[in-house]
Amino acid sequence: MGILAYRGVSKRFGPRAALEDVSLEVVPGEVFGLLGPNGAGKTTLIRIGLDILRADEGEVRLFGTQPSRKALDRASYLPEERGVYRRAKVRELLEYLGALKGLKRVEARRAAGHWLERVGLSQVADQRVESLSKGMTQKVQIAGCLMTEPELCILDEPFSGLDPVNVALVTELIEERRARGRTTVLSTHMMHQVEALCDRVALVHRGRLVVYGQLDEIRRRYSPHEVVIWTTMDLLALGMPATQHKAGGWRVALPPTATPAGYLSELVRSGVLVERYEPLVARMDEIFVNLVSEGR
Amino acid sequence: MRIRRIGAVARFELLSVIKRWSYLIATFGLPLFLAGVSGTVLGIQTYFLSQRAAQSSQFGLIDDAGVVDRSEFSSRDGQRVWSANGSDVVLYEDRDLANRDLASGRLRALYIVQEDYLRSGEVRAVQSEKTPLLSMRGTTIEPMLRSLLRKSLLEGRLEADVQERVLAPAHFVRARLGPDGDQTTDLSEALDLLVRTTIPLFLGVLLLTALLSASGYLVQTVATDKESKIVEVLLSSVSPEEILAGKLLGLGAAGLLQFAVWSSMVVLVAITASTALAAVVAVPWQAISVAPVLFVLGYLFLGSLMLATAALGANAAESQKLTMGWALLAIVPLMVLVVLLEEPHGIAGQVLTWIPFTSPLTVIIRLAVDPSGIAWWEVAGAIVALLISTWLSIRIGARLFRVGFLLTGSRPSFAELWRQAK
Repeated sequence: MGILAYRGVSKRFGPRAALEDVSLEVVPGEVFGLLGPNGAGKTTLIRIGLDILRADEGEVRLFGTQPSRKALDRASYLPEERGVYRRAKVRELLEYLGALKGLKRVEARRAAGHWLERVGLSQVADQRVESLSKGMTQKVQIAGCLMTEPELCILDEPFSGLDPVNVALVTELIEERRARGRTTVLSTHMMHQVEALCDRVALVHRGRLVVYGQLDEIRRRYSPHEVVIWTTMDLLALGMPATQHKAGGWRVALPPTATPAGYLSELVRSGVLVERYEPLVARMDEIFVNLVSEGR
Repeated sequence: MRIRRIGAVARFELLSVIKRWSYLIATFGLPLFLAGVSGTVLGIQTYFLSQRAAQSSQFGLIDDAGVVDRSEFSSRDGQRVWSANGSDVVLYEDRDLANRDLASGRLRALYIVQEDYLRSGEVRAVQSEKTPLLSMRGTTIEPMLRSLLRKSLLEGRLEADVQERVLAPAHFVRARLGPDGDQTTDLSEALDLLVRTTIPLFLGVLLLTALLSASGYLVQTVATDKESKIVEVLLSSVSPEEILAGKLLGLGAAGLLQFAVWSSMVVLVAITASTALAAVVAVPWQAISVAPVLFVLGYLFLGSLMLATAALGANAAESQKLTMGWALLAIVPLMVLVVLLEEPHGIAGQVLTWIPFTSPLTVIIRLAVDPSGIAWWEVAGAIVALLISTWLSIRIGARLFRVGFLLTGSRPSFAELWRQAK
């Protein structure tokens, strides 16, 4: 059963349809990628899920019920448009965010201290937020989002503006959550992070759900029926339909009925010295660009 | 609504405001500054008054023209002395003795009625070298001497009642034309009203200032939330109603603290003034005791409307423009202040008592000017009307607040507002 589920959700802003008949489910313990170009309707979908906006049509279930204040205490949200009280001190801000999620004052203080240490910002705990760099401010916001150990955490572009070290830190935090059975919804344009982290994805374009399912399955579905073969032999000379692949090796289109495993057996049987062999799998950025371009 | 969340919002907002320099200066600095200025002025005045009191209040008079009526003088310690208004005028026949007394400081000044006084009218006022030339300005000695000379010149020359009218030609009696003809009014009563209305006016202005100041903080905080884009984070944790209630309470507490500090100053001034001027100044205890209730209700009513309207603005400037209308309604009693002070329980006063925007200030002014003229049910009714209006404004305000809070950039149409508010 989905921890966050949308059924036939539609939303209009004046004459413009922001979402049209969207149905999807986020299941417990997974990292779910919510993808789509700018203005596709991702933020509206998130806002409806968190009861910030109301859908015009359709049904939303959060932890199995209609979004309620009680259910929302089990979730947290890092919006793309980051918001902080710039004049507040870092520790005070985190304590406040914790208190808004229902933590008692002592618990909020303890959690704020722990999470500031976790994101490497203990030394700036008593500084005003306005004195921090953009990256540091973003880490404060991520700490604020994760400090209550929410069962569901929705992170909208958590990597933007972070240096590689901090990208690695945030990646680690998301993986830790998955290891503890916590659910994370990740909305990002960084497709290599989607490939590295997400179990399942949904791609929204112009308010409609374009792709939805297991990441590996989607990548396979949109992959060309081709393999890459690394060998010292000249495959063209062998009469095979091969082209040079940019990563080295030969890119070969498989016959329509062949499977990669069957084709490899055939190659070995026919005497080709195969050093390395890989079915060609489409990258998420290629799938994204293709699907969004098709829709234009 | 969850009390603890409201408390968390209220605490954060309260601490955010009371730690600001602008708030600390306005709340504590302003009364301290005013107390400092008043203290300095009073201190200087007290110093000069005590200096003056230390100076001799005795004056000398030499009558070279022989016109002064000696019968006005009484004999004291071998001298002829005329006393009036706390000053003594000693009549000298010996010029040298008079000069010595002036030089020694026993006399503050010496007046010499010149020989040709009847022709020239000259009376020479001689001061010692140590006395500043203008130090006699503002004393009553010279009008007194004029009066003595006038009386002396007329003595025996006119009938007694004519002489009296020459000395005091007119005693003006103030009257007003009313439905039953003209009626005499007591001038001291009018003066009494003037003094009595000063404190109520001050209290009323403070109530309004504190109300508008607290409401101003509300507008500011909504604008800050919208501009800092933290709205979504807040709304994913607490409901718009909880945010509205928390902000109202937190910033209301800041406003109440400010009002308490300011009104303590008024009470202090009133008590001090009533000690000194017990006859004309009374501490408006009834007004002061009802003021906190009226402040809280007035603030909740006005504040919830301000918050909802401010949330519709895209930025601080726009929010302020949108909320200006409410502030203008609240200051209506000040616009008709003259009417309220003159006739606190007239039609204007009675009508404004029942309008939630104007009732806090009107009730305070009416209670302070003349507590006996306002019925208890009027005060209770105004409070009940405010309570109902506050409940309604919070309910409607919270819904508009939800719509407005999420808006960034554009303002919703009335149709959209109506749809969301339903």
